[in-house]
This record gives sequence, C-alpha cells and structure tokens, in this order.
Amino acid sequence: MELQKINVKFFAVEKEAVPLTAFIDVFHGWIQATDGIYHDVADYSHIQSGPGIVLVTHEANVSVDETKGQRGLLYSQKARLEGSNEQKIRHVLDAGLEYCRRLEDEPIFNGKLTFQRDEIEIAINDRLSAPNTDENFLEIKTVVGEVLSNGYGARSLSLDRNGNPSSRLTVRAKIDEPLEISTLRRNLGVEEGIRQRRSGGCNGQL
Amino acid sequence: MTWKEKLGNEVLADLGREIDIFEQQMELRRQGKIDEKVFAETRLRRGIYGQRYDNGQRHDGKRVQKLMLPSTPLKGPDTLWDAPGMMRIKIPFGGVTPEQLETIADLSEEYADGVTHVTTRQDFQFHFVHIDDTPALMRRLAAVGITTREACGNVVRNVTACPLAGVCRDEAFDVTPYAKGCSKFLLGHPDTQDFGRKFKIAFSGCSQHACALVTTHDVGAIAKTKVVDGKEKRGFELYVGGGLGAVPYKAKLFGEFIPEEELLPTAQAISRVFARLGERRNRARARIKFLIANLGIDVFRRLVLEEREKLDYDPRWHGEIARALQYQEIPLKAGTDFNGEKRPEKFDQWYVTNVYRQKQPGYFTAAVTLPLGDVTADQLRTLADIARRFINGTIRTTVEQNFVFRWLSEADLVDFYNAISAIGLGAADAGTIVDVTACPGTDTCKLGIASSRGLSRELRYRLGRKSLELDEAVKGLRIKISGCFNSCGQHHVADIGFYGINRNANGYQVPHFQVVLGGKLKENAGEYGVAVGAVPSKRIPEAVDRITETYVRERLKGESFQDFIARIGKKDIKAMLDDITRIPTHDIDASFYADWGDPREFTLNDLGTGECAGEVVSQAEFTLAASERELFEAQILLDSGALDTAVKTAYSSMLHAAQALVKFQNYEISDDEEKIVAEFTKRFYDTQLFHDKYAGGKFAEYFFKAREFVLGSHAADADGAVRLVHEAQLFIDAAHSCHNRLRSTKTVAQLS
Repeated sequence: MELQKINVKFFAVEKEAVPLTAFIDVFHGWIQATDGIYHDVADYSHIQSGPGIVLVTHEANVSVDETKGQRGLLYSQKARLEGSNEQKIRHVLDAGLEYCRRLEDEPIFNGKLTFQRDEIEIAINDRLSAPNTDENFLEIKTVVGEVLSNGYGARSLSLDRNGNPSSRLTVRAKIDEPLEISTLRRNLGVEEGIRQRRSGGCNGQL
Repeated sequence: MTWKEKLGNEVLADLGREIDIFEQQMELRRQGKIDEKVFAETRLRRGIYGQRYDNGQRHDGKRVQKLMLPSTPLKGPDTLWDAPGMMRIKIPFGGVTPEQLETIADLSEEYADGVTHVTTRQDFQFHFVHIDDTPALMRRLAAVGITTREACGNVVRNVTACPLAGVCRDEAFDVTPYAKGCSKFLLGHPDTQDFGRKFKIAFSGCSQHACALVTTHDVGAIAKTKVVDGKEKRGFELYVGGGLGAVPYKAKLFGEFIPEEELLPTAQAISRVFARLGERRNRARARIKFLIANLGIDVFRRLVLEEREKLDYDPRWHGEIARALQYQEIPLKAGTDFNGEKRPEKFDQWYVTNVYRQKQPGYFTAAVTLPLGDVTADQLRTLADIARRFINGTIRTTVEQNFVFRWLSEADLVDFYNAISAIGLGAADAGTIVDVTACPGTDTCKLGIASSRGLSRELRYRLGRKSLELDEAVKGLRIKISGCFNSCGQHHVADIGFYGINRNANGYQVPHFQVVLGGKLKENAGEYGVAVGAVPSKRIPEAVDRITETYVRERLKGESFQDFIARIGKKDIKAMLDDITRIPTHDIDASFYADWGDPREFTLNDLGTGECAGEVVSQAEFTLAASERELFEAQILLDSGALDTAVKTAYSSMLHAAQALVKFQNYEISDDEEKIVAEFTKRFYDTQLFHDKYAGGKFAEYFFKAREFVLGSHAADADGAVRLVHEAQLFIDAAHSCHNRLRSTKTVAQLS
C-alpha cells in the first residue's frame, strides 16, 4: 500500500469559544503575508459539523475543521509526496503541527486556542489505494506506530481504527502524555529543506 | 490498480469508452496536440468547469499575487492546468438514489473539499477539483449510473423538472418519464452538438406553481391533458425562448398542446433550427431567446414545424419515453397516519414549512433544506441511510438547492424529522424567506462581482434568528441572490432579488447589490422583478428589513407583495432606500469596502473570463480533434504490437479528418465511409483545395492508399504499420492546414 493523500487532524482545545469566522481573517492575513502559496479561503461556517474554514494551497488544504462535531486543525495533503510511507506520514504530521503552532501563536486568539498533542487522527483520503480493510489497518498502524514512537519517545501509545467500511482508512492515536509542538517536530526529524519547499520559503515567518 | 481496473464492468461500456476518450484528449492537450480552445469546450462538455483564480492570479486585498502552481499546459484560454476547478454533475429531473448519494459523498471527500453543492438547476457541483482527478471521478459516477456529459458547454444542460412530479396534488400527470426520456434522447444527439450557446429545458406538471420555472427556460413544457375521441390524451403546453441572464426574457407560447408522441421530435426540430440559425459570433446574443425575438415566434414556429416534417422517423422518439414510463416509484411502507407519538419541540413548525401532503393518501414529501445548497459527505451518507430506512430511495434535488424525500408514511414523519435534525438539517424554513437561494458568486465563480453566498449566509443568519416573529406575509417571501447580472441565482423571479455590482465611492470600489423587487415564482416564474436601485452590500440586511417592514405596515388587505411593489412604484421604493445607499468614508468605516465573509478590500481585479458561454467550436474542429485522438490510440496500439488494429485505427483517424473538412463545407455529411471519401475527393482533392504548396496532393494520396490497404484486408507487417501511422499523422497535419486556410478565407469573405 502506497500512502498518498494523507490527512492529519489535531483536535482543538479552546479556553473560550472562538467563532469559526475568526479564522477567515487569520487565513487572509496569512495570504497577505506570503507570496502565492495560498490560493483561496473557503467559508463553510454555515454547515453543522462541516469542513469549517478551508485554506487552499496546491499541495494541501488546511482547515479549521468541525467534522463529527470536533473542531481541529486538519491538514489534508493533495500533491504527491515522494519517499517511504514513514517519511510521508512524518512530513504530513510535521506540516500539520506547523499550522497548529501558527494558529496558537496568532495574537488575535490571545492564548485561548491550543491543539491537543496527545490525540491525533490520521486518515488516508484514497479509497482505491488504501481501502479500509483489516490488512491495510495493520500496515498503517505499524507505520504510524513507528513514526509516533520516534516523535513521542517512550510514552505509551494506543492506535484505534474506525471500523466502518465506508469510512476512509483512519487511525486515531492516543498518547498518554503530550509534548510541546517544537519538541515533537524536532523528534519527527523532517529535514529543513523539505519544510522550506513545503512553505515556499516562508516557514515560520508569519 | 486504477479505478478503471477496479470498476471493470460496473461502468457501462459506452460511458467507459467516453471517459477513455476524454483521458486521451487530456493527454493530447498535455502534449499540445489539441488546441486549448477546443480542449476547453471538450472538458466543459464533460462537466469540467473553470474556477476563480484559475488564471494563476489573485488579489489579496493589497496586491495581485501570482499563485504558486507547477508549470504545466493550459486547460483552456488563460486557464492553468493545475489550478483547482469545478465539476458539475448532471442529475436529470433531480432524481437521485441512496447509492448515488454515497458515491457523491466519497467523491467530495477524495477529490473536492468535502462539500457537495446543489445548484439552482438540480445539479451537484464540487469545487477545488484537480483536472487530473476527473477521469476517476467520472468513472465512479458512471458506476452508479451518472454521467457528467454535457453538464456544461454549448449543449443541452440538465433537464429539470418539478420535484413534486408524480406526487403533486395539482399536476395534470407525472412529467418525470418525459423529462427523463427527453434528457436521454438529447444527450449526445448529433443535432444538439453545434449550438452557439447553452440550451435549458424544464418540465412542470401544472401551470400555477413555481416548481419548474418553465418561463425562464429555452424550452419549457407544462403537462396538459385533452379529451380526443372520448379518450384522455397527454400532451404539453410548450414554451420557447425564455431565459434569465442580464436581460430576462419570458418564454413564448409555441403550442398549446403538443401531443406526448410529438414531444421529442419537436425538441429535435427546435434544436436543429437553433443550431442552424442561432448567433455564433456575438456570444451575448447567442441564446435561442434572441433568435426567437429576432424572428418572431410565428416565423420560428413555422421553421420548426417545417423542420419537423423533414425529420426521418426515429424509434427513440417513442422508445425513450416508453422505457421511462415503465419505471414507477414504489413506497417502502404503507401510508399510515400519525400514531400519537410525542412530537419534538420544533416538529410542528417544521411540518408547516417543510412537509407536503402527496396526492397519494397517507404519504408525504418532506423538504430537507441545505444552507446555501451545501451538504457534507457525512450528511450525505446519513441521508442515504435515512432514505433506505423510510422510503424506497425516492429523493430529488430542487432548484431551491434542497432535497425532497418523497413517499414518507405519515407515521414516520416524527422519526424522519429526528433523524435529519440529528445531522443539522431539520431547519423549519423550506419555502420561507430564510431559505435564501444563491449562486456561488465570488466564492468560486470567475464572473462573480459580489459575494452572493456571503450575503446569503448573513441573511439566513439574521432572518433565521427572528423567523418566529416574522409576519406571516413576510415569512412566505423568497430571496434569491446572484453574484453578477448573469442570474445564476435566479434573482429576477424572487420577491426580493439581488445581483452583485460594483460602485465607485470616495476613490474606492465598493461592493453593491442591485435590488430587484416583485418577481413572481408562482405560475412557473410568472413575472420578472424590477430593479429599483443599488445598495451597498453591507446595507442589504437593512434594505431587507425596511422593504419587509414597509410591506407589513402599508399593504392593503390581501395584497400580494408583487401588487404592493407595483402599487407603491419604483420612485417611492427608491426614496425608501435612499439613505442606506450612502457610504461612510473609508477612514470612518472600512468595513463597507469589503464584502461579506471576505476581509479583503474589494476589487474587481479577480474577474476572469467566464466559461458559462463555453467556447464556440465548430463540428469540423471537434472532428479534427477526434481524429487526432484516434491517431494517438493507433500509436498506442502500434506500440503494443496490435498491428492490424493500429492500421485500421490510423485509417479511421484519416477518414475522420477528411470528414471534418467536408463538414466545414457541408455540415450534413453522414458517417457513411463511401460518402465521406467521395465528398472529400470531389471537394478537396479534385479541386486541389487540400493540396500542399510544395507536396501537392501527396498527403491526400496517403489517405487513398491507406483506404486501399484496409479494404484489401491485407495483413500489416511492422514496417508497413509504422509507415501507415506516420502517413496518417501527415494527412491529419495537412487537414489542419487546409482547415486553417479555409477558415481564414471564410473570415475574410465574411468581413468583406
């Protein structure tokens, strides 16, 4: 099974409710601060448990997603990734974490918004190459387990499946103790060059 | 593995072959072997549409940014291959099954942004789709019986029909089989392939209701019955030449009673007259409404009837409808009454607005309203489950951008309401002022001027909060919003309509909406509204409050909104809105200079060239493109060692290139091989029109030689096959050159 179209979702924790529409301004601000990376912002704030606010790029959609009634940062890879499945998962996790950091650091939220690092959902958005079967779950579980073990070190980890066959192949990881985003990203060990290419050279400058 | 391999025989052979051909056309376009304009119309006819910013530029509110996209060919004039696009999925008469909803849900997740949009013509749309994903997307749709063919482009678009057809208490008869038969008959029909513009058809079961908006269509059919020789006979009151757009035209009566057996031949004859006489060069006047306005309905009718007389009998005229008539909707459950079950708090309110008692005792149709016509993948899957639980898959989309679930037993209504409420779709607002219709506008449309969806979202929110307090007379009014004057949001037929415009104020561009009042949905869009003035986008909610409050306060007893607007007149309405047309300066309130849901400073810089009008591509150009694709197939066959098939395919590609040239001079040329060769020889070889300046008739001789070889049933050796395929390429290249020469000569002749 070759993994592409990897989705990763980090669930939001809000000390005070943040209106979904607040992210529209934030994303437009990111667009103005960069140069051509971000193509558009789609507003689905009118839909219950929907995709929320979506920031569209060529390589991925980044959204404040509310699917299943759980708000979170969803990084949805679209452009093809090279490398092993493990490398691709690391890449997508790293990219998702980077966006979590950016949102947490946004002054407008004033510390009200953080993202859980002890529960992560990873889904493969491709029912052809990765149907939700027992074999595929075992395979992805192994890959995700290895990546997260590297990221989280000796912390205890559980990996569960969404068993609904119509759902995409999905793993929900729970870790008994969270880590700082920076530590986690360092442990994931994605090369700086890859990060720079991903963000068009503006990584961390927002 | 690919979707093609996985789905195998699940895709009907014809549909699969069409998608294979489109995939080859994509490859040829990547190689630069199909002209970008021809490819644009080709993809449009597959439902693959452009989207805002697909020229690779976007204004961020301060400056224009060049979007980062891989460097690849264009998929149409000024349209980048890798830019996200829109995919329109045709749903004839809005009929959709649970299985289809589940597939649509999966596709929206995997290829779009997780949202499916229901359009104002009963289609589905996905946004942010990459063109490379479209063949797989189309195959997966085809596996559940859906084609995207002719969803866009200058062809017959989705055939719409009243969503209550078959269950309506007031209909003459169920128009569903006729809409279905008409849709199938005209899909890909040779007489509908050479229009200068799109062509829309609608069916309604009655004259008095709004459901199908017949008068706004190129062809609109209203069910009628008549007693002939003591027997009741079915037929249609047929209207032609309606259309919205910048200047709306009400359809004109073509015939008071077109018998059912004459429906398809008449539609075919109308298509032929439109293809022959419709405007080509001036896109703004190419719809059939202009042709009919120019000719006059009497002349147009005469031409159509003459054309009808010339048509050879086609068994499909009756076959398609007879087949469609065989299908009958069957309820899942017996139609039993409420069983005294406790009703949830908001149920009664929902029952009033969203539930319709069918003509069949004990059965009801319920509307599931979709905010802005949007529905998520999870919601679609749950709706499919709900449809299986309560009804026999009898779901339809509506032009109000909602779903209706038909054949619900009264006893199930509470459980149904609870099930849809659990996924956020139990709002009690169908057919009310809260149920605002809007086109995509500046969210995704290249032509959008103002944010129709942003305004719709705001009005839904504001009106929804106070819906319980609204006067009954106001609650039933309808709001429809278009992002520009092209009327995709159908603003002309709403009580209160808006379309996006730009105004300059204080040195800035300011988003505005033109207010259009007094349109009438009933009587199949019986009246078009009147523009009363432009209001800044941010003050439209105030305008709605003011208009509705004045109506409640000043209407005469029993006076309709249309009569009220007509009575008080444009001048008074303008005065009523006058103070809210003023705009504070930018430094006092900058919010007026941005649109709803979009903090960027407003600009028209992102306006692009729309694809609604499609590209005018002649049949000759299409046939030349088809010959290129066939030659490409021959080359693949050659590489795979299938020499004989490669040779036959290469010859066929030459034959089609020759046919393309003949079509340029004589459109009526058939597919008969003998005739094509004879006409090509007579018109192009003997006259030396085809001859190359230096090579003379050599390339035409390759064609004749290939024909001789294929007719002689010779077995091809490898060298011979390679040579023949090569010669086919030279012949097709020469055909292109000849076509270009002819076209420029024709243009010069037209200009002079």
